[in-house]
Amino acid sequence: MKAFGWKQVALTVAAFGFVALTLIAVGVMPGEAAMELVRGSMGTKNAWNETLKLTTPLLIAGLAVFIALRAGLFNIGAEGQLLVGGLCGTVVALNVEGVLGTVLACLAGLVAGGLWALPAGLIKAYRNGHEVITTIMLNNIAAALVAGLVAGPLRQEGMSTSTEVVAESTWLPSLYENVPFRLNIALVGALLLVWGVAVWIKRTVAGYELSATGANPKAAATAGVEVKRVTVRAMTVSGALSGLAGAVQVLAYEHNFYVGFSSGFGFDALGVALLAGGSPWGAIPSALLFGALSKGTTSIQVLGVPKGLSGILLGVIIIVFAAYRYRRVKSHD
Amino acid sequence: MTPVVRMSGVTHSFGALAALESVDFEVATGSVYALVGENGAGKTTLMRVLYGALRPDAGTIEVEGVERKWRSSADAIAHGIGMVSQHYSIIPELTCLQNLVLGAEGSFVIHGDAFRERATRLGSKMGFAFDWDAEASTLSPAGAQKLEIVKLLWRESKIMVLDEPTAMLSPADSDALYASLKQLASEGATVIVVTHRIPEVMQHCGRVTVLRGGVKVADRAVAETSAHELAELIVGHSVSRSPQGAADPGEPMLEVSGLVVKGERKDDALKGASFVVRSGEVVGLAGVDGNGQRELFHALVGTLPAAGGTVLLGGSDVTRVRSRDRFVRGVRLIPEDRHEEGVVEDWSLVDNAALGLQHVPPLINGVWADLARRQALALRVADRFKTKHQGLHRSMRSLSGGNQQRFVAARALELDPRVILAFQPTRGLDIDGTAQVYASLREAARGGAGVLVVSFDLDELLENCDRTIVIHAGRVHEPTPGQGHDRQAIGRLMVGAS
Repeated sequence: MKAFGWKQVALTVAAFGFVALTLIAVGVMPGEAAMELVRGSMGTKNAWNETLKLTTPLLIAGLAVFIALRAGLFNIGAEGQLLVGGLCGTVVALNVEGVLGTVLACLAGLVAGGLWALPAGLIKAYRNGHEVITTIMLNNIAAALVAGLVAGPLRQEGMSTSTEVVAESTWLPSLYENVPFRLNIALVGALLLVWGVAVWIKRTVAGYELSATGANPKAAATAGVEVKRVTVRAMTVSGALSGLAGAVQVLAYEHNFYVGFSSGFGFDALGVALLAGGSPWGAIPSALLFGALSKGTTSIQVLGVPKGLSGILLGVIIIVFAAYRYRRVKSHD
Repeated sequence: MTPVVRMSGVTHSFGALAALESVDFEVATGSVYALVGENGAGKTTLMRVLYGALRPDAGTIEVEGVERKWRSSADAIAHGIGMVSQHYSIIPELTCLQNLVLGAEGSFVIHGDAFRERATRLGSKMGFAFDWDAEASTLSPAGAQKLEIVKLLWRESKIMVLDEPTAMLSPADSDALYASLKQLASEGATVIVVTHRIPEVMQHCGRVTVLRGGVKVADRAVAETSAHELAELIVGHSVSRSPQGAADPGEPMLEVSGLVVKGERKDDALKGASFVVRSGEVVGLAGVDGNGQRELFHALVGTLPAAGGTVLLGGSDVTRVRSRDRFVRGVRLIPEDRHEEGVVEDWSLVDNAALGLQHVPPLINGVWADLARRQALALRVADRFKTKHQGLHRSMRSLSGGNQQRFVAARALELDPRVILAFQPTRGLDIDGTAQVYASLREAARGGAGVLVVSFDLDELLENCDRTIVIHAGRVHEPTPGQGHDRQAIGRLMVGAS
């Protein structure tokens, strides 16, 4: 990649300027807000605890979107897959206790998420229906479905929209505790998953064919890659990982499923994957950034900054990044 | 007489690479003017400078005695310069008339009838007839080329540049095209043809300029030169032809019988093709574009299903075998469209080396890809035809078109090929590159492979293949014995006359 030119620098400055102006508009000094943002997301043990809690699902779902992207697919449906996976994982965990319950609940999340994405993959491969449209529709169905189930048959006594709490023996445990800081095994698992995906893409023939399909489907088909199958498989695996992210979030941090349990992890995962660039390793800093920003913007609310600012910040980051990337793509000609 | 176009001292660099070094180029009206040279000699760059698409680093352009500095192509077009590039700029979804006027409507309102009348007038002047309301996708390559010429007339171009205009045309269509160009020239237009086909220059053009390595090396009246001299001027040394008639052909490697393949419109694009390619031979498949070559290739590779008939590979039936397993069994491919089908431009040369060979041992080991062997393979592939590159880990995009084609051709010769399917393997290659590719195909044949080459250039096939068969309207014909190298006889088969 070419070194930063003046255009990139100008773009970055303009982006920060825009955020600063937004802050001044709501009556906050940008410097003060930046300090508080960093302190609120990484300044204390508690801040780190909360940041990492948000980073874990972002990382797993980000990987999910990354894999689809690698095959040339925009899986906008990560949020729906995550919700379905989270709820199915919870149902299994409520019925099977202990480590077996944990393992089965994770599997349930994988299977549910995968099945939820499968129609989008099939429609894309065999009917040429655009995956962005189908996954958005599947998101809407998923959101309504889980809300209905949580408000109805799966409702906890005395609560309006949440399930029973999973037995403690079924939780994903912490590996290290220094209260209030806890390092959950889920984050370590997510990091291992990054490694696994990186190795799979780089060193297996299946990973090679997945990348070929994304980079030039016609050349891939000419080279004997079964592009339709790869498309279905990539979409399903992507959905499965998103579903796993939902199940893990319940087992590690939330311990029950309720409406609003995801603060849009599946949507932020799109940003995580875009920002990760060409390598799954990129998802680690990118998920951490998104986690820190979501946590940090919660804490600058005390300064009178509305919570919506995190949306603005993330939006600006993604737009700046996309502008860099698409400039490169355009320079093909 | 003052020349219509006079370019003097034109210099242009792409980064550190000097594409043109102080080139002088003059064209007078009256005859078709040829500009020849190898890939990368600077032909297209020079023409793009003339057309205003590139701004020269130094040098001047005079048109009809007046010095011009183009701000853009639009500027050049307004002064009567028109260019048809190698890849036609026809939009298939629009009608012929819409394509004709696109960008030169001259008003905000489309005056359908007036446009159609003028279009018909311009067409009939050249002896072309178009169904103006038909979609441009229905045009044959020759029809598209004709439409491009009428587009120039529509824009009132007086100086016309055609970049490799006959690349996609049959010999008969090429002759017809040159007849039209000569007519235009005799009526006062200035016609410049960029080409690498020396026979066309000898037969149809009046003057020729030769570029080599960005420098003008010769400027001759065609009557005062010879095909042999031109070839030497272009390459810079004498050209040796690839040796012919190798060892006796051996066992059949590829046996196709009664093969039927459905085309895009669900009609039979291939209507029962039968032929044999034996170990040790290089077989040319001649034919006008669009007679089923593409469908035949896809069916042989396994990316289109056979609706009938059989394909035998080294004696075993592979008609229902999937594509990747055919590669494992020794099918190798030089695909038609390098950009679309042959490479992943964003990938490194190393990763591109394995494309199509990813399931072929030793590149695969269980589920794992052997990255060390992939690297070694890439090195061999790049070395075989001396692909010019700046590192195997640089992207394929960093290579010029000719060098990409060298890479793709070299890849098809790797890992013990048994049947090599080459679709226009020398497309975009210069004389040296072409000779290298055929020499290597022959070497692979000597090693026991059977080679099938599709080309729209009959002369290339006749010159380089052991025998030539013909595809016409979805059927394969073998020339009658004794006429295997008879250009006229094969030409008749290509158009369906016997």
